[in-house]
Amino acid sequence: MKKGIAVLLALALTLCMGLSAVAETYDIALITDIGTIDDKSFNQGAWEGIKEYAEANGKTYNYYQPSAQGTEIYLDSIEQAVNDGAKVIVTPGYLFEEPIFIAQDMYPDVSFILIDGNPHDANYNYRTEKNAVGIIYAEEQAGYLAGYAMVKDGYTKLGFMGGMQVPAVIRFGYGFVQGAEAAAAELGISEITMNYHYTGNFAATPEAQSLAASWYNDGVEVIFGCGGPVGNSVMAAAEAAGGKVIGVDVDQSSESETVITSAMKGLSASVVKALTAYYEGNFPGGESWNLGAADKGVGLPMETSKFNTFSQEDYDSVYAKLADGSIQLKNDADAETATDLGTTIVKVTIVE
Amino acid sequence: MNTIYFLVQQMMFFSIPLMVVALGGMFSERSGVVNIALEGIMVMGAFCSIFFINRMEGVMQGQALLLLAILIAAGSGMLFSLLHAYAAINLQADQTISGTALNMAAPAIAIYAARMLQDNGVQQVQFVNTFRIEKVPFLGDIPVLGPLFFQNTYITTYLGFAILIVSAFLLYKTKFGLRLRACGEHPQAADSVGVNVYKIRYAGVMISGALAGLGGLIFVVPTSTNFNATVSGYGFLALAVLIFGQWKPLRILFAAFFFGLMKTIASAYSGIPLLMRLGIPSDIYKMIPFIATLVVLAFSSKSSQAPRASGVPYDKGSR
Repeated sequence: MKKGIAVLLALALTLCMGLSAVAETYDIALITDIGTIDDKSFNQGAWEGIKEYAEANGKTYNYYQPSAQGTEIYLDSIEQAVNDGAKVIVTPGYLFEEPIFIAQDMYPDVSFILIDGNPHDANYNYRTEKNAVGIIYAEEQAGYLAGYAMVKDGYTKLGFMGGMQVPAVIRFGYGFVQGAEAAAAELGISEITMNYHYTGNFAATPEAQSLAASWYNDGVEVIFGCGGPVGNSVMAAAEAAGGKVIGVDVDQSSESETVITSAMKGLSASVVKALTAYYEGNFPGGESWNLGAADKGVGLPMETSKFNTFSQEDYDSVYAKLADGSIQLKNDADAETATDLGTTIVKVTIVE
Repeated sequence: MNTIYFLVQQMMFFSIPLMVVALGGMFSERSGVVNIALEGIMVMGAFCSIFFINRMEGVMQGQALLLLAILIAAGSGMLFSLLHAYAAINLQADQTISGTALNMAAPAIAIYAARMLQDNGVQQVQFVNTFRIEKVPFLGDIPVLGPLFFQNTYITTYLGFAILIVSAFLLYKTKFGLRLRACGEHPQAADSVGVNVYKIRYAGVMISGALAGLGGLIFVVPTSTNFNATVSGYGFLALAVLIFGQWKPLRILFAAFFFGLMKTIASAYSGIPLLMRLGIPSDIYKMIPFIATLVVLAFSSKSSQAPRASGVPYDKGSR
């Protein structure tokens, strides 16, 4: 009798497991990089995009958090997602460039959306297959909006403090300079000063704090803290000196009172766009998207920004000009340093 | 003049943590235990205290919260250093290895704990800096000295100086200090006159743990708005300060100020018109403290003040 019950229980258990395995498949999967889905940055942005699309279109979705950082570990997570039935996998962050390069060949039936990068192997040979798309952003336009808004808002002494001198950071910085130049030309301001520096890392250090403090002490009114934790050092200096800060990537207004606006990338919007294309049957496989204002890929968070005079109308009009291409910007491919951008009103001082 | 005030105020943010941590290292080495785990202990102290601030922010603010956080930082640093003490003193392990182990473990523990304990699951621990003192009442109004030392400052700056004075007194004027120094120079001799070498060495390491943990907190508060499981190598820099200061409290003070001033100039010179016009690359300023350390070591190596038994495990049987 006891045996019979045991067998029955075992059978029931197997059945349950079998059933649940059938039930628990997910169409859309997100693999997070080193952060979590509520990291106020990349992963969260991508996750919100997936959620938005999936809930509107009745798709199932799930996320996978790799146990650690590394190509092999990321590939394990991708395998897990594929085994769970994922048809399309979203991977935020340039750390996925190598894993996706490998995975696009391993799983030809699965589509990959790589955010902030393009697939390449360990030797930086780029190749994107028909089942993958790389998305990068026109950071120079986000920087442009920030620089334009600042000068329009009455600031004339600006600072740019980037993290590592990588293309995304450089694009933010160049855009910032050009935006300030454009607004100054419109307003007839004769001189804008711009201190320009890369800290060489993505870390909050006393060095970064001191540098920012010395700039504020020297009269700089607002600093664009463009490099993750570097911004936190700038905020610490701003809190002490009564200065202002521009955040980066996402709306950073919650991190400090001193953040008056943020140069954002529209992560969720681009995920929605790519997913829509996939389910409409025209997945942009093999392509690399460079998203700018035209695709709502960049922007400022107008609701949380603390501007004096820069209004929603001002924002909308400059945004429209970026979107329709009537404003063309130089990016990291066009100029060696920020002083080569050919600005006449904005006096760029590069701080080594 | 404003520039000088600014430089001195900024310098304190570098110098005080360096000095406090180096003084911690001094106690440990003077007792005969090399403590290269200072970096790791700083991380742990900073993590525990910043996490405490993060949790208590809603209940209390300002100096009271900072004082409690200081206690937490020192306590957690002391606890963490016990691991090193046990390995180095009881197990007679290689002190460099056990110190390195702590240095590597600390950031990992801090990240893991932050992700587990925080609702949002991120490794950065946010805090709001409500601790800055714009101007100390009365003292801040004194001409010259006021802006130099009593404006834009933190209570920890004065605590740092207090620790310096207490350390010097403890080391040179008390029985405990004498025993501590004896254990670092010749533990067998100390043991022969009835000093418990193990106890003294434990005390030395625990004091260093408390001071290093405190240093971690002092380091993070003025320079960021969150703690991201790192103190940017300042524990190792404190070791350089300790050596530059030749294991003596007053010299450590000067060494810390020298390092701090050079660090400040290196990172802030672009905001100071005079230095900007000189056109010396910031790399030169960054190099100076380390070149100076090498030069001092080269000249003082013959009569080096390093505690003789530092780094040598004490074995009763080898007398």
